[in-house]
Amino acid sequence: METSASDTKKPIQIEIFPKRMIKPDTVEGLLNKICSLEGIQRAFIQGPRLPTKVPFGPAVGTPVHHPLRTNVHFGKTEMGLEVLVGRITLELAGKEVMEDINAICEDTLPCGYDIREGRFIQTRQTVSDYAKRGPTADPALYGLYDPKSKIESQVNLLRTNEKE
Amino acid sequence: MAYEAQFYPGATSVAENRRKHMSGKVEKLREISDDDLTIILGHRVPGTDYPSTHPPLAEMGEPECSIREMVEPTDGAKAGDRIRYVQFVDSMYNAPSTPYFRSYNAAINFRGVDPGTLSGRQVVEARERDMEELAKFQLETEMTCPALACLRGASVHGHSLRLQEDGVMFDMLERVRLENGTIIVQKDQVGRPIDKKVDLGKPMSDEEAAKRTTIYRVDNVPYREDKEVLEWVHRVFEQRTMYGYKPAVQE
Repeated sequence: METSASDTKKPIQIEIFPKRMIKPDTVEGLLNKICSLEGIQRAFIQGPRLPTKVPFGPAVGTPVHHPLRTNVHFGKTEMGLEVLVGRITLELAGKEVMEDINAICEDTLPCGYDIREGRFIQTRQTVSDYAKRGPTADPALYGLYDPKSKIESQVNLLRTNEKE
Repeated sequence: MAYEAQFYPGATSVAENRRKHMSGKVEKLREISDDDLTIILGHRVPGTDYPSTHPPLAEMGEPECSIREMVEPTDGAKAGDRIRYVQFVDSMYNAPSTPYFRSYNAAINFRGVDPGTLSGRQVVEARERDMEELAKFQLETEMTCPALACLRGASVHGHSLRLQEDGVMFDMLERVRLENGTIIVQKDQVGRPIDKKVDLGKPMSDEEAAKRTTIYRVDNVPYREDKEVLEWVHRVFEQRTMYGYKPAVQE
């Protein structure tokens, strides 16, 4: 019988997949509750990008002012949300918090959702990651940002606040 | 007995809606003024004359031609209007229409239109006033739910994404917005802000959208439940592949 990550002491990854794309307010509420749980190591949010300007067509360059592109707060950390959130991937230290996460989703999400366990965030470097970040890169950051962009624009470290 | 055109097989609500869209016998649900339509299409300023590319046909002195005598030109062609487009996007989450059925509706019920069918969007090119007539018909009737369908000249990818939390199809340019329970258009087809907000009315409820849709879905009316449609699709496929559309050869 094969041993899955959930049977070992390795971190497990889960994906919360709501039936609808969720608003920034809901994301803020959901992630604040989830981040207060013990054992959440990394979180990754994904969804369609909300551009600041019309990217193509006859109106190219016209400002968009999308109301869903806004700032959200996690504890004391403020983060600019550039996507409409469609799925949230979490890396957990163990499976113990799964029930709590399920309860939080049940309370916070206004629509149905699925929670799946699997491999959603990279756990080791790809070749392009290696070329960009080098051999001494922080393993906690693998897969959390696009190698073409700057780390500060896509990764927020909540633990920095805890140290303060 | 006069021949009555038959448009689509099937006994389910989806098949019935497909027949309605193809035949053009659809229910009118809302009223949109000509000026509002012109604003959201964004091709010309409301109230202005239609710009033309050639003089009216009556003044041009057309050559003698039996086809020209037989075929009455459309109003747009008579006046020499420019060719302009309207592009619809329909969500995959139970939007009333789909690109194919918008094209069937345009090609069967309107003259002088050039429908283009793509996976996520449907564009119709025609003389400007002919195009406006079609756009108005499709927007005002049950072929369109303001939350699940939208006029989009560029960036159409929201059609295949899940709906937003408020039930509106995702649009990265936010051309329409749900305000106080009604859908407000605040940008034209290509994402330019417009001076006046246009009210398209209330979106359909989930139940109504499921009732009026032309999309087979496993969570609504599954395709395989419509035995008559399946039978006809199999028949068309068989005759095309085996007999090259020559049923006589089959005997």
